[in-house]
Amino acid sequence: MPAIDYFEVECPEPLGAEYYRQITNDVLLDHNLLRVIHKLHIYIDPKVPIFVAVGILKKITTRVRVGDFANVNPLEGKITLVISDETYLAPMLRIFWQKFGKEHVEQPDRFTVILYDVKADLKEIEEIIVADPSESLYKDLIYAFRCIAPEGFRLRSEKFSKEKFSFVASENTLTENIDEIIQEKFACMGEVP
Amino acid sequence: MYGGSPVTLVPITYKGGIYQHDIVIDLIEDLGGYIIQKHVIAAEVVLQCFVPREDIDLIRQIAKPLFGEVTDTPLVGTEIAIVSMSLEIHHLPHPSCDIAEYVRRIGAKSNMVSLARGPGKRIAGLNDEERDVINEHDIAVYLLGNFESCIEYKMPTLRRGIEVPIVLCGGPDTETLKKIIDPPVDGYVGNVGRFMRRTKEADEIEKLDEIIAEIIRVLEKKREEIQKDPLSVSPARLMGLINEKVPAIHGVTSPTPLTVQMAGLRVKLPYDTFAGDLRKLEIEDGILIGDIAEVVPSRMRDYILVKILPFSETNMVI
Repeated sequence: MPAIDYFEVECPEPLGAEYYRQITNDVLLDHNLLRVIHKLHIYIDPKVPIFVAVGILKKITTRVRVGDFANVNPLEGKITLVISDETYLAPMLRIFWQKFGKEHVEQPDRFTVILYDVKADLKEIEEIIVADPSESLYKDLIYAFRCIAPEGFRLRSEKFSKEKFSFVASENTLTENIDEIIQEKFACMGEVP
Repeated sequence: MYGGSPVTLVPITYKGGIYQHDIVIDLIEDLGGYIIQKHVIAAEVVLQCFVPREDIDLIRQIAKPLFGEVTDTPLVGTEIAIVSMSLEIHHLPHPSCDIAEYVRRIGAKSNMVSLARGPGKRIAGLNDEERDVINEHDIAVYLLGNFESCIEYKMPTLRRGIEVPIVLCGGPDTETLKKIIDPPVDGYVGNVGRFMRRTKEADEIEKLDEIIAEIIRVLEKKREEIQKDPLSVSPARLMGLINEKVPAIHGVTSPTPLTVQMAGLRVKLPYDTFAGDLRKLEIEDGILIGDIAEVVPSRMRDYILVKILPFSETNMVI
């Protein structure tokens, strides 16, 4: 798995920073988000209290195609698909029904789908896009940062765009100068918000 | 029995096959010991019991042909409150459940007490129900976060009204915890704050062992205190008596219908229906439970809490 290019946790308490570094790593790893983050800077000050996470996202195409999780074997007028991962089975079947009609699609067991009399070649079927996990990426990122931030910090301000994001949380009303803090933290990474 | 030297009962765990395990149960009961919990897991039996100290070797000897194993489990007969700041993903299942589960392995009955307003710094609080529930346990293990300044700020609020010994676990090292907590609590375990991974590495297991060691140390101190003014009756004996004379207890589906504590007993029957009967239960020679113990309603559901009075208040030990 590619590591993050820049990853810093800044905190007045060095031991606390070390723990939060570990927590961030564990949470991002669990949610499979390390591959989408290019740079990440986290700043926590428990005295204020405030939690700031700013970062740069990677541009990646995460579209899942039929060929990614199924073995497609044409045989005597029918095409047999052997599924290795069930996660995208349901959306795949839905697409097949729409495209070829229910009478041409059969599923004899959990891991096998057979297509009868379809006018599509092997390559075409393998290239069908089944899902795009990047659609839920922002939702996943916000959830992950909610897990990382201390739990009592319930007042949040998040900005997520295609390339950059910032996440600020506190248990007190967020002050007006959070934009300055965000700018400062982006500058630490050599970026602008 | 009035006077005479009392038999010292020590907590042990017996682990062995299900075949002929009733021999061991009979032996423990004949020796004057008590079985606190019995688990049958597939073909294995685990008995958590109190037995006379001088008879442990005899039990070992008799259990040997049955391939039974006897181990010291100092936390048998204690009820521990694992105080978690919330039930959110931030604290569960790691580390709260890991610690609660680990103390169970050496015999304790652990309950997880999760606070409604636990997280945060300024906003953290403890309500009266939480305070009372924690006070019904033998010891409270507080699991706090990673920041020194946060712990320093919120601990006075979280310990307000808590009368049982507290073991404090937090991210800063033990020395720092000792420095920032004033007045001091009974035990400290540093470097165990919030983390989001399962405790399975050797160093993490070592940390859990450290928590156990600290709990045992604090409870031993409490046990010594109790010894100075002994209880009028052993909680394990009361448990045996209620098991024998209150048939309704066998219909309770909780894992431990009678939970033994160091100086009392939690009876998982409705207070209104059974408290009167319990008070009138005769232990021996006309002495009733009501004479030597307080039977009070528990804050946990509608259970009954039996608090055994010490010798100095009742002037008798049975």
